[in-house]
Amino acid sequence: METSLVLKIAYAALSLFIAFNYGILLGATTYRIRARVQGRLGIRLYQPYLDIIKNNAKRTSISHGIMFYLGPIFRITGGVGTFLFIPMIYGSVVFSNFSFAGDVLLVLYFIFFGQLGMALGAGEGGHPYSAIGVSRGLAQMTAFEVPFTLAIIALAVQHNTLSITEIIAAQQGGILNWSLFTNPAATAAALIAFLGMNMGNPFSVVTAPQEIPIGPPVEYHSNYLGLLQTNRSIFNSAKLILFMNLFFGGATNLIVMIIKTFLIYMITVIIGVAFPRFRVEQSIRFFLVVPTLIGLVGLVIALW
Amino acid sequence: MTNAPIIPLTDNHQAGRRVDLSSGKYLKLWQGPQHPGITGNMSLELTVSGDEIVDLRTHVGYLHRGFEKLMERRTYIQNFPIVCRICVPEPDFNEYLYAATVEELAGIRVPERANWLRNLTLEMARLASFLQWIGGQTGAFGMGVIGQWGITHRDYVLDLFEELSGGRIYHMYIIPGGVRGELPEGFEERARAVLDKVENLLGDIERAMFHNAVFKDRAKGLGVIPREMIDSYGITGPNARAAGVARDVRKDQPYLLYDQLDFDVVTASGSDTYDRAWVRFQEIHQSLSLIRQMLTRMPKSGPIHTQLPNPLHWKIPAGQTYRRAECTRGEYGYYLVSDGSGYPRRVYVRGPSYTHAVALMESMAVGANIADVAGLMVSFHTYPPEIER
Repeated sequence: METSLVLKIAYAALSLFIAFNYGILLGATTYRIRARVQGRLGIRLYQPYLDIIKNNAKRTSISHGIMFYLGPIFRITGGVGTFLFIPMIYGSVVFSNFSFAGDVLLVLYFIFFGQLGMALGAGEGGHPYSAIGVSRGLAQMTAFEVPFTLAIIALAVQHNTLSITEIIAAQQGGILNWSLFTNPAATAAALIAFLGMNMGNPFSVVTAPQEIPIGPPVEYHSNYLGLLQTNRSIFNSAKLILFMNLFFGGATNLIVMIIKTFLIYMITVIIGVAFPRFRVEQSIRFFLVVPTLIGLVGLVIALW
Repeated sequence: MTNAPIIPLTDNHQAGRRVDLSSGKYLKLWQGPQHPGITGNMSLELTVSGDEIVDLRTHVGYLHRGFEKLMERRTYIQNFPIVCRICVPEPDFNEYLYAATVEELAGIRVPERANWLRNLTLEMARLASFLQWIGGQTGAFGMGVIGQWGITHRDYVLDLFEELSGGRIYHMYIIPGGVRGELPEGFEERARAVLDKVENLLGDIERAMFHNAVFKDRAKGLGVIPREMIDSYGITGPNARAAGVARDVRKDQPYLLYDQLDFDVVTASGSDTYDRAWVRFQEIHQSLSLIRQMLTRMPKSGPIHTQLPNPLHWKIPAGQTYRRAECTRGEYGYYLVSDGSGYPRRVYVRGPSYTHAVALMESMAVGANIADVAGLMVSFHTYPPEIER
């Protein structure tokens, strides 16, 4: 194996390690912020680490078939896959990951790959709550894909590239070069889709505990749940870094990355604490109308 | 109440009872008894087609403690610590109604100051119960923030109860003949401070909940109770008032000191989940006002209890009576029969949750979305413990 490839793998592993820990701390911070809004203290920052260790240490004697085991594997593959094709720090050799000319398309695919795998796995579990969660999740995913894809197409047209690195490069030179300012409609459409992708309020019916299912995780416990929690941390970081790269000018060092992604994430947190949740058909109707129209405007801006 | 005809099951409802599960078009789901979307110890058996409910059957019995039967084997005074346990979140109405029925049959007169204190605790209980409900209603639609705010402020009211009675949940403060103790020193100031806190909270809740587009989307048009169902189903309280029926025992048959206090019967016309929530929200404001009025006008001294006969040999003259009061869920009633012995011959408790959680829920859920079951059930404001006495 070439030395450069070994180095690239080592760098990617380092990026993954940082993204995992950042995702965990971000999640814990979010819990604490939500708790403060509710008038509580919230969890300690290290609590998610204990949860993951505890869940991974457990074993199960229940079997629901091979696909059930593969569900969380697909999920974490989707999360890690998404992350590994997104450059974490613009211009850095260490944190560039495996980005290449058409990585936007691959990342788009990986974002939805995990959820599809989970759907197959949870469906195999046979629990009716899982089936309801899966159908809600897939229906909502199909809906928010539309504005998200429109926003990505708008950026690809605007910058004439399908490379994330080149899209970041096009935004350098000043804050007004960010896609947020050059194409605010595409940014808005993508951010609304991001709310759906994160499954926070008002688009949290997929995993709503009160409204019958708590989604596919109802059947996943012990080390399956540990895998899903690990993936949640990595996938969260990956999505935030992707949005930062596409719409907020990317980051040239880790501190800028942390500040930008934290602020992007706060959008979902603030909206999440201020709103109840839509029913799934209300979510679909919303995604296919408001952000889709905004996304189309973004496309027009890009073509103009 | 008029002799309104019983409304037959809707076509949908009847179709729901005939579903063929083997057709593969329907799915049977259980919600509860352990489920965050259920209000207490009962369960719902749902038959759904896609996301739509075609049939719903309620199942109670998980919390049956046989209180009514137990009371027939205990002396009148021994029953006093039992009755409050019939309704956990709002026990004081049980204490008051049990005491009132016993006092009526025994011919006991309650001192005036005791009546003020009773009225005060009933309104405090109403406030605590509504604060708990508002958390449930918003929580059922995923808005946990308001739920936490409501529960925190309910705890402030429970602090007052603890000061007053020594108990946070079961107070056992209202007893036959009067009340168990005086107001602690400085209680009025502390109570007013809590009322101010709750009032501030209501402003935040109004903005976050009633002016929230998503909450309106979920709650408006959900579970509309037709006005003609009100009498035939025995619907009372805010559920009836949200349908435009201005019925409130506090006004229609005033008890304690309600005829001397200033308050309105809040009504609405939409009869859906949003309007029921709005009526209850306005009643929280009314409750704050009533408590303030009582703190101001209550006599500062005077007896709080009438001397009772020896409770071990207390026999009550034969007779029967029914007393009712307006609790947060609607009309609460106690029917007491005495055969002249030291034990009640029969105690029957009429809790509004029986009607609202069973008959009404089974009827209104048909055709609704399964994601709305929790929100719908909370909007009827039911407490399963009072179904099972």
